[in-house]
Amino acid sequence: MLAEKHADRINKIFAKYPDKRSGVMDLLYLAQEEYGWLTEDALREVADLVDIDPTQAHSIAGFYTMFSEKPKGKYWLQVCTDLPCALRGADTFYRELCAYLGVEDGGTTDDGLFTVEQVMCLAACDRAPMMQCNFHFHEHLTIEAAKELIEKLRVQAQPETQEDGGA
Amino acid sequence: MTKTATIMIDDQTYQVPDGINLVDAAKLHGITIPVFCYHPKMESVGMCRMCLVELGSISVNRDTGEPDLNDDGSPVVRWFPKLQTACTQTVRDGTVVRTSTAQVLEARDNILEFILTSHPLDCPICDKGGECPLQNLTMAYGPGRSNFIYDDKLHLDKHVPLGELIYLDRERCIQCARCTRFCDELVGDDVLAFHERGRSLQIVTISDPPFDTKFSGNTTDICPVGALTTADFRFGARPWELDEVPTICPHCPVGCNLSASTRIDRDFGGKKMIKRIMPRQNELVNEIWTCDKGRFGHHHSRAADRLQHPMMRQGGEWVKIDWATAYHQIASKLKKYADSAGFLAGPTLSNEDLWELRQLAELTGDTPRLGVWPAAMTGAGVVAQVGIGVNTRLQDVGPETAILVIASDLEEEAPIWWLQIKQAADRGAAVVVANARETKLDRVTHTVVHYDYGDAVAVLNSFAARARSRRKTSKALLDNRVDGYDDLAAGLKGTRVPFADAADVLLDAENVIVFAGAEGLTLDQHRELMQAAANLLIITGHVGRQNNGLVPVWPGANVQGALDIGFSPETTASLIDEPPAMWFIGGADPAADDSQAAHVLANAEFVVVGAQFMTATAAQADIILPRQSFAEREGTYTNGMRRVQRFYAAQGPVGDALPDWTIYAQIGARLKGPKPPVSAAAVMRAITQHVPRYAGMGYSSLAHVEAQFPDVGGDDLYYGGTAYANHGGLGVQWATDAEDDSARLVVRPAQIEKPEKSGDLCIVPVRLLYDRGPLFEPSDIMHQRVPEPYLELNSQDAAHLSIADGDRVMVTAGEIQIETAARVNGHAPEGVVLWPRRLAHGPAPALFSACSVQKIEE
Ligand code: SF4
Ligand code: SF4
Ligand code: FES
Ligand code: FES
Repeated sequence: MLAEKHADRINKIFAKYPDKRSGVMDLLYLAQEEYGWLTEDALREVADLVDIDPTQAHSIAGFYTMFSEKPKGKYWLQVCTDLPCALRGADTFYRELCAYLGVEDGGTTDDGLFTVEQVMCLAACDRAPMMQCNFHFHEHLTIEAAKELIEKLRVQAQPETQEDGGA
Repeated sequence: MTKTATIMIDDQTYQVPDGINLVDAAKLHGITIPVFCYHPKMESVGMCRMCLVELGSISVNRDTGEPDLNDDGSPVVRWFPKLQTACTQTVRDGTVVRTSTAQVLEARDNILEFILTSHPLDCPICDKGGECPLQNLTMAYGPGRSNFIYDDKLHLDKHVPLGELIYLDRERCIQCARCTRFCDELVGDDVLAFHERGRSLQIVTISDPPFDTKFSGNTTDICPVGALTTADFRFGARPWELDEVPTICPHCPVGCNLSASTRIDRDFGGKKMIKRIMPRQNELVNEIWTCDKGRFGHHHSRAADRLQHPMMRQGGEWVKIDWATAYHQIASKLKKYADSAGFLAGPTLSNEDLWELRQLAELTGDTPRLGVWPAAMTGAGVVAQVGIGVNTRLQDVGPETAILVIASDLEEEAPIWWLQIKQAADRGAAVVVANARETKLDRVTHTVVHYDYGDAVAVLNSFAARARSRRKTSKALLDNRVDGYDDLAAGLKGTRVPFADAADVLLDAENVIVFAGAEGLTLDQHRELMQAAANLLIITGHVGRQNNGLVPVWPGANVQGALDIGFSPETTASLIDEPPAMWFIGGADPAADDSQAAHVLANAEFVVVGAQFMTATAAQADIILPRQSFAEREGTYTNGMRRVQRFYAAQGPVGDALPDWTIYAQIGARLKGPKPPVSAAAVMRAITQHVPRYAGMGYSSLAHVEAQFPDVGGDDLYYGGTAYANHGGLGVQWATDAEDDSARLVVRPAQIEKPEKSGDLCIVPVRLLYDRGPLFEPSDIMHQRVPEPYLELNSQDAAHLSIADGDRVMVTAGEIQIETAARVNGHAPEGVVLWPRRLAHGPAPALFSACSVQKIEE
């Protein structure tokens, strides 16, 4: 439970705002960090903490693409395919990325490592194609650069996955 | 006088109230600016762009204040360079608008084409088809064809349950946010919201239970498309087949005006049948809303187990008899027991029924015993003096008004009043909520008074004392019209004022309205509570004017009518204390509500019961008379604000059931009474001749309607949604003594009688909207909303008894022993067991009865 495990952080969040409900975004973010994605239980937990109906927490989580209400791979690749990026080839880039990973639009690789997703403008239009990987920007991308990144991440993830598998 | 503004619409000059919404201003003069997201009862959001107009203002010379003129003498207009949304504009002097230029028409055409890109156009199977704003506006302003390719339409889920009452069709939703704003802004139940964005946007709820509000049905009315439909009516009929019959809700004292949509239907044996209930506009009562109990609680009228024939008990068996036999038998029993007959009228008897019951009773003796059920509240005399001022409109109440709600859980007892008070609070009205426990109304105000059960009268007395010490009394009234003030003043001297802040909120307001219930009050205490409320209102001068006075939250739809016609709860109490040999009961179920009454009835010599169902009381009868429900007959109810309102026959008959007044008059005729009246209207005529407050009413004046704002239900269904225009009458509210300057007003000290609490734990029954009462239980659609029987315990008490939330417990109160579930949620005060009425079948414990609660080990 967030309330027990992160009491300090939660208090700090509440201290920032005049009323509890204003802390909802911070708490959703905290919940996502804790659970990997926002399960319905997590939404209810946050709603309870900030004293709003869970429907409102659900609505907020649904509005922002940086919140996820579906299970996600370890690495969450969000590619901007909005018009300015598309003009610089982001849509082709995205298609190639999907093909390389062997997933559909919005899908997760079988090994549970990568989830791909198209998102709206991330304010880096001039450096398109771009994507963010777990909220870190990668800009001026080519498909080769992306492949390189993916392989690097695969390697990085390996020992952990093995440990997980063994545990 | 409200200020007016001079504005120009389509080159004509008009006078309109200053500062109102532009769409409304145009509407007032019959000019239609089409809208989807705008709704006159809600804040505007400008989301749909349907209302685009050319907008400008007359240019004024800053130095002279005179309008600048063109060469031809016409005023110079400064136009906005682009079209503007009319719904986000308020009018002021010099506002100029053009609503039907080529540019505006093209914009509407484009917006409609755009909205329709992802609309499924499945009107032929859509419940809204035929009364759909999107259909109507598309026909009026839309393109005949689309530039988009039909096969490219985005298809989305069609039968998404938002709970079990309301269904969402995602692809029909045009994202106007009327439904979410209704929940959010108007009701304050934030249980509906948008999820995702753009094309993926959908309406969601994950509250528990889903779509958790008592007003959910209203969203289907104001949804401008068929995206939200009710489980009750889905695919039930086409709107153009339906015949709208005006009716009145029989469930609570608000008296919502409703429209029964009826048609001849195979499902009801080829008879006329209610297919759905819709709100009917009455801006003085329910505006254009209704609660879900009123909307979905009509199934009792067609329940399979309705009593169909008169029946007599013979040797322990029920035997079907004909009406003539029933009349004859009852007449002879009434003759036999003339000295010892008691009459009891239930809360859904119409005024006509009550009048004829009284006529019948008077044939047995000059002073018949006329009781009303439930006998929980009293104060007819007080209401006649200081009931709420005529023509009060709760929707106009704002910062100048303070509203006190005492001893009532208003959302459960009178939901639409709760909603209107919540909105009044939003407009700045000061709300004081006084009860012994937390209720949902507490959340609309900072001024909450939590007293101990038994202290309600003392609280009101202390407010009156505070009025005196702060010299907030009305000298004009006290000097000229009030009797008994010296006594009252003497009694109030030295009274402690524990809730001075709350008192001051009331005393500092220009208008004061008091809503009084009876939670935790015996009948005697309630009489004093009503007097204490009247004292406060009279000495502070808050009577006899609009938006001032007392509103009793009666335990039923027509308790006011019963009191007006001469039935009284005090008589009921005496009937139970000194029982008559013969009981004549119409539309009441005392045996289920009160174990003492059940006991007395069991020992009576002869019992006649008029009922719709085989209730606990009917089961004790010697003769049962099947009465018609509100749906099959006409009549009038008088609501808690004393508005007498007509309802009309909407549905075909069930078996041999008859209206109560006919039955009573027929029995009377066999006791040498007059010939039975020919119609309900004739009975009303008799009432108006004998009951002074009803003088001048009559069925035609009650049916009178006037134009109301907003204008809904006409050709412009899109405007306010599918609330129905009122063709059945706005009703007539009778005036109180306070409104008559020559009438005297009486105050007297209100006695504080502390209840004798016996034992450590005692029971306080509370009312719930959704219960298992005989008129609600047959609505299967609502079953998931009716909680399983439970009681509420204070956490301290629960801890002592080692009971946790959700545990099964055994309650023993006197002879009554019931197994139920315990709730421990912080609402019950210490030492009190809150007992929701009518959740469980079987005998109910009385107020303040001592009880013990034991955990049942699994
Ligand atoms: S469901 Fe109806 S009321 Fe709600 S946003 Fe969609 S169209 Fe509007
Ligand atoms: S508020 Fe009362 S009168 Fe109105 S619909 Fe609900 S139960 Fe009926
Ligand atoms: S459009 Fe892609 S980052 Fe702005
Ligand atoms: S934008 Fe004005 S009605 Fe929707």
